[in-house]
Amino acid sequence: MQYIFLVSLVLLTGCSDALVRVMPYEKEYFAQDKMSLSPLAQRAEQESHIFLIREASAGGDSSFQGGCGCR
Amino acid sequence: MKKIITMVLLTLSLSAEVTKGDNAVAFKLQTLDATTSYSMDDFKGEVVLVNLWASWCGGCKKEMPEFFTLQQEYKSGFKIVTVSIDKSSSSSQEFLESVEKELGYKRPFIALYDPSKSMPKAYGAKGMPSSYLIDKQGVVRDVIVGSLSHDDIAKLKIKIDKLK
Repeated sequence: MQYIFLVSLVLLTGCSDALVRVMPYEKEYFAQDKMSLSPLAQRAEQESHIFLIREASAGGDSSFQGGCGCR
Repeated sequence: MKKIITMVLLTLSLSAEVTKGDNAVAFKLQTLDATTSYSMDDFKGEVVLVNLWASWCGGCKKEMPEFFTLQQEYKSGFKIVTVSIDKSSSSSQEFLESVEKELGYKRPFIALYDPSKSMPKAYGAKGMPSSYLIDKQGVVRDVIVGSLSHDDIAKLKIKIDKLK
């Protein structure tokens, strides 16, 4: 019984928040530009413009974009 | 049985975080330029705001000018102690110098450097930046996670005045 308790305790420790999660003060590398999904601001804007054209949706992302792609 | 209790305590201690009413974490850290070292005892009898920050953290950089003006307003009885957890102290130094240039005066607060990240670990910081308002007796009176806006600083001033 004691053995089972110890094993389950060790397993639970493995799931501990402090062990599994990247702590906020350890996110130095995540904060780098290259870690961003769209690291280039200009490219991100262009991609979003193309997305809106393709979707033929009304603007709402950032600026005056309609579905025509004729901005 | 003793072993079990020890393990339970260890498990619990992993998720420990400093909250209101807890004692402030004792430290001994050097300044960014490594010329002076400070410990928590140096601030006994003063209200202290310990701010954990890094130059890679956008929110930390955003609130930093607010600390310049806040410390300027309190000449005695209140100290701001910023603790950088950057990989190199030079990046923190560079950023603070850029703020000094922008505002036109030297930083009025104490800027410490914690390369081993011992402070955020001991405080169990849940976000970056994190600030801890500590009273004259060394008890944590407020925990602020996230960037402080101009309005937040105004609210903070009321708390500081009460504690002074």
